[in-house]
Amino acid sequence: MNLRRHILETATILLVAVAIALVSNTLASRERKLKLPGDYPNATTVGSSSKVNGEPAAAPAKPQGPVGTSVVLPPSKKSPVSSSPAAPAADRDLLARFPPHPDKPYVEIPGEDAARLHTAGVPFLDARRTSLFEDGHVAGARSVSVWESDVDEKVMALMGEQDGAKPLVLYCSGGDCEDSHLLAQKLWGAGFNDVLVYRDGFPDWVKRGGAVRRGAAP
Amino acid sequence: MNRLRAALGSEWLTTRAQIALGLLFVAAALPKLADPPSFAHMIYNYRILPGSLVNLFALVLPWFELLAGVALLLGLWTRTSAALIGFLLLVFIAAISFNLFRGNAIDCGCFDVKAVGQSVAERLSEMRGDILRDLGVLALAAQVVFASREKGISG
Repeated sequence: MNLRRHILETATILLVAVAIALVSNTLASRERKLKLPGDYPNATTVGSSSKVNGEPAAAPAKPQGPVGTSVVLPPSKKSPVSSSPAAPAADRDLLARFPPHPDKPYVEIPGEDAARLHTAGVPFLDARRTSLFEDGHVAGARSVSVWESDVDEKVMALMGEQDGAKPLVLYCSGGDCEDSHLLAQKLWGAGFNDVLVYRDGFPDWVKRGGAVRRGAAP
Repeated sequence: MNRLRAALGSEWLTTRAQIALGLLFVAAALPKLADPPSFAHMIYNYRILPGSLVNLFALVLPWFELLAGVALLLGLWTRTSAALIGFLLLVFIAAISFNLFRGNAIDCGCFDVKAVGQSVAERLSEMRGDILRDLGVLALAAQVVFASREKGISG
C-alpha cells in the first residue's frame, strides 16, 4: 500500500515537473527557449564534437567522412588585423588556400588566417550565446548561438544567402569551447562545405587588437 | 547502539536535515531555471545523454529538483521527496565519477550554470570535491528517508 502511494507521489511530481517545464519553455523568450528534441551531434563522444580520432561524424544528410581529423592548416604570413581593403589578386590567393572540404565538417585555422580572411570580407559567425555576442563580437560577425532555439532558422536563412562552397569563419570563446565546432557540424549537415573554425576564438581576436563591435547588430 | 539509532532518527535531526535538503535543492534549481540553454550546455558536457534528450533533461530536471525541494520544506510527501532527491544524488555521483574516470573534465553545473573557465586540473579536482559533497547530501537524504520510515511517516 505504502509502495503504491510512493509511486503515485513520484509520478505526480514527475508529471507536474514535465508539464511546467514544457509550458514555461513554450512561453520563454528566444534566448531562454530550448528546441525539443535537442539536436547535438556526437553528444556521447568525449573530447570534442568531432575531434576524437577515428570517430565517424554524426552530422545528418552528409556522407560519412573522416570527421575525426580536424585539420589545422599552417599559418600564413603574419598579418595585422586591419580594415584596409586587400588587393583582389591577394584575396584570390588567400581564398585558394581554403578550398571546400566536403569530406569533413570543418578545418581549424589560427588567428593569423582568421584576421586575413576577415580583411578579405569572408563572413564570420559567432557561435556563443547572444548575451556574449552583444557584449562584444568580431566586427561584422553574425550571431548564430548553437544553444538557442532559433539556431535552425538562422542556418536556414544563411542557406538562402550564402554559397555553400564559399568559406565561412566560425568562432566561440577559444580554449575548450566547442560551440563553433557544434555549429560547424550543423552547417556541414546543411550543405556548407567550407567551414573554418577560428580555433582560439574571440579572446584571441581581442588580444590581437581585431575590430570589435558591441550590441545586437553585426 | 540503540541510543545512536534513536539520536540519528530523532525528530530534531530529521527536521533540520529536511529543511537543509529542501533549501539546497531549491537553491540548485533556480540558476538552471533562469538559463536553460546554459544548463543544456552543462548537461551536454557530461557526454552521457543522447543529443536528442539533452534539452528535455535541461528543462525538466530543475523543475523536478524545485518541486522535491519545496515539498521537503513544506513537509509534504517527505519520504518520497527525500527518496527522489537521494536517487538524483546517486545519478549525479555516478555521472561525475564516470567522467572523472574517463578524464573528461567538466563543470558540475550543480549550483551554477556558467562555465568558470578553470584549467583541466582544477576542474578534475573540483569534481572530486563535488562527489564528496554529494555523498554528504546523500547522507542527509538517507537520514530523512529512514527516520520517516521508523516513525511510519509517509507524507
